Amino acid sequence: MSTYILAIETSCDETSASIIKDGHTELSTVILSQMDTHANYGGVVPEIASRMHVENITLVIDEALKKANMTMDDITAIAVTYGPGLIGSLLIGLMAAKTLAFVYNKPLIPVHHIAGHIYANNLVKPLSFPLITLVVSGGHTELIYMKEDYSFEKLGGTLDDAVGEAYDKIARVINVPYPGGPLVDKLAHNGKDTYSLPLPLDDNSYNFSFSGLKSAVINLVHNEKQRGNEIIPANIAASFQNKVVEILTKKTMKALQNYDVNNLIVAGGVAANRGLRERLTELCDQNNVNLIIPDLNYCTDNAAMIGAAGYYAYKLGRIADLNLNAKANDELK
Amino acid sequence: MKYLLIDSATATLVVAIVIDDKIAYYYNQKVGKDMSSSIMSVIDEAFKTAGIKPRELDKIFIANGPGSFTGIRVGLTVAKTMAWALNIPVISISSLEVIASTPSNQNNIAVIDARRGYVYAGVYDVNLNSIMSDQHILFNDINQQGTVVSYDSYGEIKPNIDILKVIKKHINDEAVNPHSLKPKYLKLTEAEEKLHKFHD
Repeated sequence: MSTYILAIETSCDETSASIIKDGHTELSTVILSQMDTHANYGGVVPEIASRMHVENITLVIDEALKKANMTMDDITAIAVTYGPGLIGSLLIGLMAAKTLAFVYNKPLIPVHHIAGHIYANNLVKPLSFPLITLVVSGGHTELIYMKEDYSFEKLGGTLDDAVGEAYDKIARVINVPYPGGPLVDKLAHNGKDTYSLPLPLDDNSYNFSFSGLKSAVINLVHNEKQRGNEIIPANIAASFQNKVVEILTKKTMKALQNYDVNNLIVAGGVAANRGLRERLTELCDQNNVNLIIPDLNYCTDNAAMIGAAGYYAYKLGRIADLNLNAKANDELK
Repeated sequence: MKYLLIDSATATLVVAIVIDDKIAYYYNQKVGKDMSSSIMSVIDEAFKTAGIKPRELDKIFIANGPGSFTGIRVGLTVAKTMAWALNIPVISISSLEVIASTPSNQNNIAVIDARRGYVYAGVYDVNLNSIMSDQHILFNDINQQGTVVSYDSYGEIKPNIDILKVIKKHINDEAVNPHSLKPKYLKLTEAEEKLHKFHD
């Protein structure tokens, strides 16, 4: 008998519900993005995000069921992102999930947002183990080793800014509007790597650091302006992106080699970055590594990935009671 | 008829189940920051104590603000999700009116602290008719006669909610579509205020 997971995700500025069959087949996904609203403020405003989630939450659940031509009685269990994320936003999805679990007496499955990003790949192709996953998003930059389903061993992570955060800050320096990350990536493709920037935290660990690189860009722009030189934003973007991609791919390839793994998956919003996708594809081809990158629509936050991860958590009996709370920060375990 | 009432707009969580005009379950305790972790367990206990199943519920009453932004949303999300799931009417009531239901022989001035001298306040007579509409106001600017009822330090008396009176007052109110049920914050977010100021 098949398992149908109703999944809910509200960790940042997207209200989303999805129905996933057996952890790999997406029956329906509904996403209401608040991006246009937050663009007025140059970034996500947590209180506004919470206010919009509460207005949209039942709409997306209703629509997800209708699109899948199902009712709540067909649902096996309810999965929800409990963290990490914006606490006020997380609470809306969590309260809706807890209410449904209570009313219909169905299992409630807490899902870590990053487990969701990793399992987004399972909707593309079943994961093969062991694998290394590179998680890159606005809040995360991590290398994780997975021996089997739903086992996460963190090899390293960022010591300061997440890679997506660094992109957004660079965007501001070169006057690229919100959301900066994707636009800097686009700009980088029209530019040349002409500015000399440091390769950040080029050591033997699996950790990352982007605040130094960010400062180097800020200083560079400042100094050029002082000298009266014209700044070429596309070239700044290209130079910055090259260093980011170089260090991410260098440490990822090293992890694959040292752990003797030939499966790599990329997860998180920055997995949509064209520079990173192209370079990883090239390196994985050269080294006979199976690379899985989620489709672009699975890179951003969505409930489908939570439903995919939730299925494996459910199979392992990771079920929460009604006291489940949201957590703004939580390690993936 | 079986009704559920929820008020999570202040640090004090109120959950009641009323069956045929009698209180079958009543919870009224300060939960503070544990609102989101405790509310569903309290509601679970409410149904068990009252001896009914969620599917037997006829109507939900929800205090939709003003008060703590997060607190309001926690209870309101439960109420709208439950009303949608069970396909039953949901009726929103003012969280200040809930406080104002406290027995008194004159008008009640219900007050919820909104920091820096500001409060959310509403004035209601003994029959819960609104005398001064709910508003975000400096406490010192309230120009009304009555007893100040509040959980916070402003209160001359602490709230002693009359659930049956509140429900009786609103029993024939028009139900809201659960999808369009939303909080009454009575206050913009700081980001919106700044943006408005910038455009003025």
